[in-house]
Amino acid sequence: MPLLWLILIVLGIAVAGFVLGRGRALKSAGGDARNLHSLPGYYGNNVAIKVIVPSMLVMLVWLVVQPLVIDGSVSATIPEGAVPENSSLGLVMSEVRRTAEGLENAVAAGGMSQALATDPDADFAEVSQQLQDAGQVVTSQLTQAVLRAAQDYREMHVFGRTIMSGVVLVLALAGLAWGLRESHKAFRARNTVEMSIRALLIAAASIAILTTIGIVLSLIFNTIEFFKLYPAADFFFGTTWSPSFSGRGGSSELGVLPLLWGTFYISIVALIVAVPIGLFSAIYLSEYASPRVRSVAKPMLEILAGIPTIVYGLFALLTVGPLLLSVFGKDGLGWMQAGTAVMTAGLVMGIMLIPFVSSLSDDIINAVPQSMRDGSYGLGATQSETIKQVILPAALPGIVGAILLAASRAIGETMIVVLGAGAAAKLSLNPFEAMTTVTAKIVSQLTGDADFSSPEALVAFALGMTLFVLTLGLNVLALYIVRKYREQYE
Amino acid sequence: MYDAPLRKTDVETKNTKIVAQDVNVYYGDTHAIKDVSVDLLDKTVTAFIGPSGCGKSTFLRCLNRMNDTIDICRVEGKISLDGEDIYDKRVDPVQLRAKVGMVFQKPNPFPKSIYDNVAYGPKIHGLAKNKADLDDIVEKALRRGAIWDEVKDRLHAPGTGLSGGQQQRLCIARAVATEPEVLLMDEPCSALDPIATGQVEELIDELRGQYSVIIVTHSMQQAARVSQKTAFFHLGNLVEYGDTSQIFTNPEDSRTESYITGRIG
Amino acid sequence: MTDASLNGAEEPRRRGSIHEIDARTRKRNAREARFKGYGIGAILVGLFFLVVLAVSIVSSGLPAFTKTVVKVEFTMSQEQYDEAESTLFKTAAYSDIFIAQLRDTMEEEGVEVAFDEGSIERLLGKVGGTLREFYTANEDQLGQPVTFQLPASSRVDGYFNGRVTREGLTESRFLELTDLDLVDALADAGVITQAFNWTFLTGSDSGVDNPGGAGIGVSVVGSFFMMLVVLVLALPIGVAASIYLEEFAPQNKFTDLIEVNISNLAAVPSIVFGILGLAVFIQFMHLPQSAPLVGGLVLTLMTLPTIIISTRASLKSVPPSIRDAALGVGASKMQSVFHHVLPLAMPGILTGTIIGLAQALGETAPLLLIGMVGFVARDYPDGFVGGFTEANSAMPAQIYTWAARADASFYEKAWGGIIVLLVFLLLMNVIAILLRRKFERRW
Repeated sequence: MPLLWLILIVLGIAVAGFVLGRGRALKSAGGDARNLHSLPGYYGNNVAIKVIVPSMLVMLVWLVVQPLVIDGSVSATIPEGAVPENSSLGLVMSEVRRTAEGLENAVAAGGMSQALATDPDADFAEVSQQLQDAGQVVTSQLTQAVLRAAQDYREMHVFGRTIMSGVVLVLALAGLAWGLRESHKAFRARNTVEMSIRALLIAAASIAILTTIGIVLSLIFNTIEFFKLYPAADFFFGTTWSPSFSGRGGSSELGVLPLLWGTFYISIVALIVAVPIGLFSAIYLSEYASPRVRSVAKPMLEILAGIPTIVYGLFALLTVGPLLLSVFGKDGLGWMQAGTAVMTAGLVMGIMLIPFVSSLSDDIINAVPQSMRDGSYGLGATQSETIKQVILPAALPGIVGAILLAASRAIGETMIVVLGAGAAAKLSLNPFEAMTTVTAKIVSQLTGDADFSSPEALVAFALGMTLFVLTLGLNVLALYIVRKYREQYE
Repeated sequence: MYDAPLRKTDVETKNTKIVAQDVNVYYGDTHAIKDVSVDLLDKTVTAFIGPSGCGKSTFLRCLNRMNDTIDICRVEGKISLDGEDIYDKRVDPVQLRAKVGMVFQKPNPFPKSIYDNVAYGPKIHGLAKNKADLDDIVEKALRRGAIWDEVKDRLHAPGTGLSGGQQQRLCIARAVATEPEVLLMDEPCSALDPIATGQVEELIDELRGQYSVIIVTHSMQQAARVSQKTAFFHLGNLVEYGDTSQIFTNPEDSRTESYITGRIG
Repeated sequence: MTDASLNGAEEPRRRGSIHEIDARTRKRNAREARFKGYGIGAILVGLFFLVVLAVSIVSSGLPAFTKTVVKVEFTMSQEQYDEAESTLFKTAAYSDIFIAQLRDTMEEEGVEVAFDEGSIERLLGKVGGTLREFYTANEDQLGQPVTFQLPASSRVDGYFNGRVTREGLTESRFLELTDLDLVDALADAGVITQAFNWTFLTGSDSGVDNPGGAGIGVSVVGSFFMMLVVLVLALPIGVAASIYLEEFAPQNKFTDLIEVNISNLAAVPSIVFGILGLAVFIQFMHLPQSAPLVGGLVLTLMTLPTIIISTRASLKSVPPSIRDAALGVGASKMQSVFHHVLPLAMPGILTGTIIGLAQALGETAPLLLIGMVGFVARDYPDGFVGGFTEANSAMPAQIYTWAARADASFYEKAWGGIIVLLVFLLLMNVIAILLRRKFERRW
């Protein structure tokens, strides 16, 4: 039974449950809602919740767990000899899954008979020919072992789904019966419903924790996998980044230092652009500008923050890069070989960060109490003296926090560097040279053709881990500083 | 100290320091000060009293043009310091405020060290020739602020770490360090406890030797204790101005009397 | 109080007239003016960047919305049709007829320029195929004059946009210098004109060789289904989480943990969410790759912190007196929240959600990791469910794919795509602003 239908049926039962539960409760009160403990709707909701929540929960868990269980049991049946040289069990399993899916689609489209698809003695050449005819993607690697496994896989999959549908429906009906039995005028339906809603609210709030756990687990597991294939010391201290495109391990050098250097270099250029412009804008807007100027200039600057980064990436690649090249390239000063360079990406990233720095600093400068300014003006200080010697020192911790947040943004920024910085990993001081960053390499390693069990792909998770730890550290530090700063003036 | 008798001092022989003529102040559409004319004397403590919102603080802030920092505030009329109009186009408020110092309601030390708090004014006005000179100025100011003994061992500790009363005396020392001629004080003791208030009031009395001190207060007792001259403001009008002893014992205006006896406030 | 009296005798220094500005003050004022100048300068630089960006986008992107077409009136008689259909190379026969007619038209117009089959093919592609397709489908049009709008090749397009110049032209099998003479002549005769490029709005990614046929339509649909997923998931979850944290959560470690997680997730780089999506949704759960459903899930997790933060702010802005009033008449806490607080906070919540959606709509990096790259956006999905599960791209990813291609003709498409993307973002922001204006409440 397709999933959508199952969900719709459960929802249908829930709607029926609502109507029935409400009616039953009303009947028990003799049709007079005033004799009920709770409003009639609560009785209906109680039944509906009891139908939906347990059944859907079981369905979700089943959907996640079933493939894992089947994977485990099918991969145990694959003989060791079936795993070719230069491959892994994981690769074979993805082959199996693809074939199983192909069989399923082919049968559904009528390109293959059910009998052939399930026949354990079917000739794999015939099957793969039929699969290809049915327009299903099959690689040349389809072997007898894979086909058997795929058939097993498909069978277990279909069987599991059938059982699941049954279990879910039974649970939904049981929930219906349970809820209906409770629908009596003395039943405290409102309290029960509110308890359930509260549980749902807590579950929703916990998604933030689950997301973090998901991020950490997906990074850690794959990073460990990577370090099994590639020595950690070479990763952290290697000064060369040259992944091989074809080979599996061995020839690749995956040192993270050039990437980190590129990341920091570009971020520093970006901050050199963004911090003075952003800070001075914030100072002008909060201390000098008239309300009218402020109401125009501030949103205008903030437009820069609302523009998607892909736009900045394109701007770097197609506008700023060629522009810089015409000045610093071989027709000008001769420092630059190509439009993509640290300078290009850094400059554009700086533009992106201007509103980020300025609105954070603006908030922080505004948090400095007016009495500080009065005290300084009262001594005969000019506005700039007050700003430089009283307000900025007072706001310094907050501004440092803002700059750290901007730095963490710069380090994690992807599209601008993917398009604007170039692809070559280099340890160089020349800002007009192309370099690359951690984020850019995550994209290139995971969007290529490399399979997920090779070190060339897994390294992306180690890079992601590095990036996550770096930005998290910066954020925690920045938020701590900013909070301390705010407490000072509260 | 709290029940100091009203002083009868030689106020009549002092020079006039500030002359205000027909001063009107508007906050947007609100008419905050109405036709106030007053002569304020040198080396005298003048108290501005009156119920909240009567305009006494506003008028005080006109005397060193602190109202310039408020966009919607407009000042009309003439105020002169030593015969020079302070609202003249040629006047730079920065220069004016070096002559007319100010201490605020809430102690507002800068988030800097005690030393830097006091040295700030002399530094921006270029009063010190060198570091030793600056040290000297700071010490003198702190002594005048009557706080030297308490802070001399921790000059480089943050000024925000002091107690409320110490902070306010630090702010007075900070104001004194720029060597002003007039010292404006906007309810300097309202945020302080009675003991700290006593210390600050005593200090104000000491300062009278060198400066014209103008103090806004909502405490009539304080006005009586520290001032020689008192001005009573009511709803933006200067109702009565005269010797403190006379205002408190024999007010001419019925509104003054009502306020002093506590019938309005 | 001995300190003060020690120095009591000293007179304060008397300074000069305040009507004369001394040298030091003058210097200080100059410094003040300079400092203020830096501030104005900084703002102007920021605005300058904004203007440059806007001008780049508009000037480079607008050509994507037009295409160069050759507009010719063409008549084919029944005999010609039968004859062409009976030859071995049918499309070539059509081409010959077309060229002959074009030559006649040019002579009538008085334009004298030499051209042959080769140049026509370089300019217009295989004309014969297009014509044959038309006439075999519409035999009733035979013998009547029909006006054809034949799209010119992308290089001819580039010649009109200034991307291809006579000086910079390298002769190739795609375009020769003499062809440009023909193009000029045709343009003078009004045969070559500009037309609105509907293909760009409705089309799909056309592969690396065909920049002229590239369109953003399919990826707009991909983005739409993703936003649907984000809206359906992020809004209820975000609101539920915010209500819990703002109204019910006790002060304890668990609540603190949630709070810390939300504020940290808000600052995690988007690409990390892409890694999460790849590892959890695709590797672990085996959801289909490149599917808008997965993209939507990833973007949901990414925008949740934003939505939670803005929702909490709007819940906070509902004054406690409202809650007290509801509790006072005997409503349960849950009722007071759902009947009174939530409806009052709704405009703020919706505004925050729209802004969160706009942010998600422009996000690119995580989509690349889960396979939603531009070149998979080949066909419109079949039906509603297919919209979620069939491989597709999204607007920003499509733009990225075009920008990363070697053929410079795609750059114009990328800029054009940005205009489309920004129009959507602008619309969403305008709706958010209007909502805020209409329902803004001051307590």
